[in-house]
Amino acid sequence: MMEPQLSWYLALSAALFTIGVTGVIIKRNVIAMFMCIELMLNAVNLTFVAFASFFQDVVGQLFVFIVMTVAAAEAAVGLGIIIAIFRNRESLDVDDASILKL
Amino acid sequence: MLVLLFILFGGLAIGCALAVVAQRNPLYSAISLVGVFISLACLYVMLAAPFIAAVQVIVYAGAIMVLVVFVIMLLNVEEEERGRGRLKFLVPTAIALAAILIAEVAFILVTVQEFRVSPATGVGLTHSIGSQLFTRYLLPFEITSILLLMAIVGAMTLARRGGLLSPNARVIPGVTTLPRSLVDPKAAPDDLRAVEADSTGGAARLLGLTDLRSQAKREES
Repeated sequence: MMEPQLSWYLALSAALFTIGVTGVIIKRNVIAMFMCIELMLNAVNLTFVAFASFFQDVVGQLFVFIVMTVAAAEAAVGLGIIIAIFRNRESLDVDDASILKL
Repeated sequence: MLVLLFILFGGLAIGCALAVVAQRNPLYSAISLVGVFISLACLYVMLAAPFIAAVQVIVYAGAIMVLVVFVIMLLNVEEEERGRGRLKFLVPTAIALAAILIAEVAFILVTVQEFRVSPATGVGLTHSIGSQLFTRYLLPFEITSILLLMAIVGAMTLARRGGLLSPNARVIPGVTTLPRSLVDPKAAPDDLRAVEADSTGGAARLLGLTDLRSQAKREES
């Protein structure tokens, strides 16, 4: 009977990360880029959990826990920045926010 | 059996991730992202990490996505238009970079020999995670709490509007200057002569309005 190998999980994680990178480069909507960043964080989380499980070490899962906290903080601050940008420019297109000054 | 589940949830994750990038409406992207999160949670269960799977569903699919969807609804985001602007060359660049990254990963996965270990059973339980988190890794845990505090302060500072005072009011440290129309119900609405006080009650006292308030109380009783 065949079991899923570690390399399968790593390949899946790499594919998800690549899709996230592609999205960040292609997308122009700030919120869509933000969601692609979340996708990349999740791909890395999958790597951590896979290594933690296959090496029977709990530290990888602790890292995932901390990464999730950072992602939550990033969501709060990032969405605050997005709302502030929208208030100033009435647009969510990153091309409209290419200079930091008003 | 496990292979079938891996193919099912892995395929679901990749399909939903592609949908996140392909959709033009950010709301559909958000829904697809929830699909990615939930299929990843299923993969975590297969990897003997039930705690992380639960936290994934609660924090990512619950809290973070609610925040994102809330902001999308709040800002009334329109669909993004394609093909406009000067950054068209980014699409082939992105595809080329993605191909290079996939090739690198494939090379590593082919050359690195397979680890002869199998998924553990007792590693991902709440007990083992908690005992490590609160003993050996206490410092990162505390630093994380400071990070969350900073995020709270930052988000509130970024998202609040100017203030609750009227546009006529001037704020001097220690003293608030209120327009007369704000504290005196009988004043004309365009009466902008300033009243300086620490609070609305102090301003009312300066204007001699405390009698009015006590009179209103007497009428109530």
